[in-house]
Amino acid sequence: MGLLSSFTDEIVYYKTYVKNYKNIIQMPIRHGPIQTYNNLKKYPWLWQLAKVNRLLDIVTRGRSGNYRKASAAVVEKIVPSLMSLLDNININTDRLVLHEDMVPPEIISAMGLTTWMSELLGILLPMVDSHSVEKYIDIAENAGIPSDVCSLPKTTMGIILNSEVPPVNAILSSNSPCDGGMASYQLIKNKLKIPMFQLDVPYNFYNDNAVEYFTNELKKMISWLEEHTPGKMDWDRLREICEERNRMTEYELELWEIIRRRPAPIAAEAVFLSHLWCFNITPGDPSGTALFKYLVELANENVKKEIAAIPNEKYRAVLWNPPFLHFIDLFSWAEQQYGLSVIIDSMSYNRQPFIDTKSEDSMLKGLAHNIMTGPMARHTRGPAENYFNDMFYMYTYFDLDMILIAGHIGCKNTAALNGILREKCRKKGIPLLIIDYDLSDPRVVTHDGIIQQFDRFMENIMKERRL
Amino acid sequence: MNKQFDNLFTFSWEDLHEAAINEGLIPVGYTCSYVPPVLLSAELLYPFRVNARNVNGTEIADIYLSQVTCSYTRSILEYAMDDQLDFLQGWVFAAGCDHLRRLYDNLQYLLKPDFCHIIDAPHKSGSDAIAWYEKELRSLTKKLSEHFEIDINTSTIAKKIIEYNTLMKSLKQISDYRKLESPPFTGTEFHKLMTAVWTLPVNTSQKIVNNIKEKLDKRSPPKGFRARVLVISSVIDQHEWIDCIEKVGALVVADRFCTGSIPGIELYPETDNPFNDIASHLLKTNSCPRMMDTFENRIALILKTIQTYHVDGVIIAPMKFCDIWGVETTQLMMSLKQKNIPFLRLEREYGVSGEGQLQTRVQAFLEQMKL
Repeated sequence: MGLLSSFTDEIVYYKTYVKNYKNIIQMPIRHGPIQTYNNLKKYPWLWQLAKVNRLLDIVTRGRSGNYRKASAAVVEKIVPSLMSLLDNININTDRLVLHEDMVPPEIISAMGLTTWMSELLGILLPMVDSHSVEKYIDIAENAGIPSDVCSLPKTTMGIILNSEVPPVNAILSSNSPCDGGMASYQLIKNKLKIPMFQLDVPYNFYNDNAVEYFTNELKKMISWLEEHTPGKMDWDRLREICEERNRMTEYELELWEIIRRRPAPIAAEAVFLSHLWCFNITPGDPSGTALFKYLVELANENVKKEIAAIPNEKYRAVLWNPPFLHFIDLFSWAEQQYGLSVIIDSMSYNRQPFIDTKSEDSMLKGLAHNIMTGPMARHTRGPAENYFNDMFYMYTYFDLDMILIAGHIGCKNTAALNGILREKCRKKGIPLLIIDYDLSDPRVVTHDGIIQQFDRFMENIMKERRL
Repeated sequence: MNKQFDNLFTFSWEDLHEAAINEGLIPVGYTCSYVPPVLLSAELLYPFRVNARNVNGTEIADIYLSQVTCSYTRSILEYAMDDQLDFLQGWVFAAGCDHLRRLYDNLQYLLKPDFCHIIDAPHKSGSDAIAWYEKELRSLTKKLSEHFEIDINTSTIAKKIIEYNTLMKSLKQISDYRKLESPPFTGTEFHKLMTAVWTLPVNTSQKIVNNIKEKLDKRSPPKGFRARVLVISSVIDQHEWIDCIEKVGALVVADRFCTGSIPGIELYPETDNPFNDIASHLLKTNSCPRMMDTFENRIALILKTIQTYHVDGVIIAPMKFCDIWGVETTQLMMSLKQKNIPFLRLEREYGVSGEGQLQTRVQAFLEQMKL
């Protein structure tokens, strides 16, 4: 049995590994050797992305059975859709729009435009290679950006200042998720010298005025795109995208219901990386729905067979804030060392996930609501009660044992709530670990430094030693 | 630098403030230029731009706000927790930046002031944003009326705008002296005045300003300055910081910062629709980098100021950990470099510290300018 399952696990890994390389290799075939050479010269980060199977190594490490299949399936989904995004840098480039991660890609796609999410590389590159964005951070800092600004916008600015951005023709951004992110777009606009539209997300969004204000912002964005790009709004297409997104959401909610069980049948990247990619980068893509359907099937099968994601699940945690981009390995490490599962994360958690598709207006309102109540706008910019209420709700709802904060040093918004959070957790008797580190730059706190913080917490607070 | 001995710019702020309280005025604190002081001047209210002049470290505030938020917000929280701001009977915030929003959250949690309100200030200045902001201002007014049991209506606000504009006109006349080759006062003196204006009732400030205005023509200009500088920053409400710069020969003739006068002393439109006018005025004239659609205007204002005030060099002094000013500074530097305007970037903390280092940097800057 052990040998057979080991063999099956190896098959899962190599099947995905080969599939990914097949997808990667098709890109130079599609574009030809000259274009490929030029791309590699102009966009050196392509070399890093070509190593995307490293991510497969990380997410499958130490995992077996359906949990391994689920984790591998997420990477298997990411690779072809990444390749298709990369195709956009060579084809129909007049339709290529640079957008910030808080701007709904659903609208851009429905207008027949292609998307390049500015933060995509800043998120993906360190996951593939921990040190890969240090160069861009240094470029931004050398241009005068203060070192204390969040390293994600610094990476984005560095890439753009180094002229490594695809040939985009318009910029869409917003006032979210933080001041650093918002401010960086003026610099990006000045560097690229192309038109920009910025969405203004209200601070207090619990009222109809806010929904109306922000819906109007989306309408203005559509008109602006029609004026500044070849894109034209296709409402039927938007409906298709939103309906597909809703289907994906249904599966995601089903998945959440399943992972509430103790022990969880799947966890970590299968839950959060799937959300990060499918909802933020390629919403409306049927393959995203297929992925979530598959994840639900795998989880259900595990439940039926009473198989846990990790054999000795001892602790369940919520991960608050974006995941440790340059140290995704931490999750499988924590599973193996302490029997600790990351069940859910703040970035995946959305309170109003469905979009009403009955009319043009209802779709825009749905998208508006979705962004305003989405994790980054809601928690990072919004009032503190959003932050705490969601966190403690998730703690109870998912039957958790601790709260794990990825205490990114560049996130001043969340750092400024740590004092209150500590007191609230103490009162409620919830173990809290705030790991000090930098989101994208491992030079600030090394992986060993992160592990040390984890070990001390487990030993001193949870009275637990490594398994 | 030669010192003036007429004490024209020396006021006993404590006495004036106490007199205002004894008169029954109600001080309401605010921390951002997107909170309109005219609304906080209605009836018995008086707007107090919150400072933490005598704060002694921020140890407790650091626990809550962390050490990576700007030292202005940490100092205010510490000062408030040290009961130094207990005289305030209310607080009005604007969701101006990440740090001020979190100051609001922490203040609410720790001190639970009787009246604490936050205005959702948009990041744009178009008609929809103005309409949104107008609603926010009306909502603030309603809450102030209810809480303090005072009647604030359109006509009271319109009257207050006229009073406020009179003060601003007088201030502008004083401020304009700085365009002269030899202004009759230093930047430090001017900022003592500005701090008083932002923290005292309008009538009291008007008396101070009138007194200064009358005597300025006869005042001899301070001597010994080598260069005229423009200071760009966010909150500077401690004139000692300006004094440090001036002590080495840089006369601060222009102040593009939140608690300064460029912008800050522009007149409000006097019409029948004051709420809309205030909203429009604040969104369009405040030159804060938090605004997403006014970058070109901000640069234009700086370039115009350099020209109008005959500025030799610019000191850009963003506060440490302020993201919006941090990124803006980089772009300002690029713009000034393109125009061959000398500039110095000086990252600073809210309180005055490291005077020696500050002076050395400014001295080196003046030498670099060959002045």
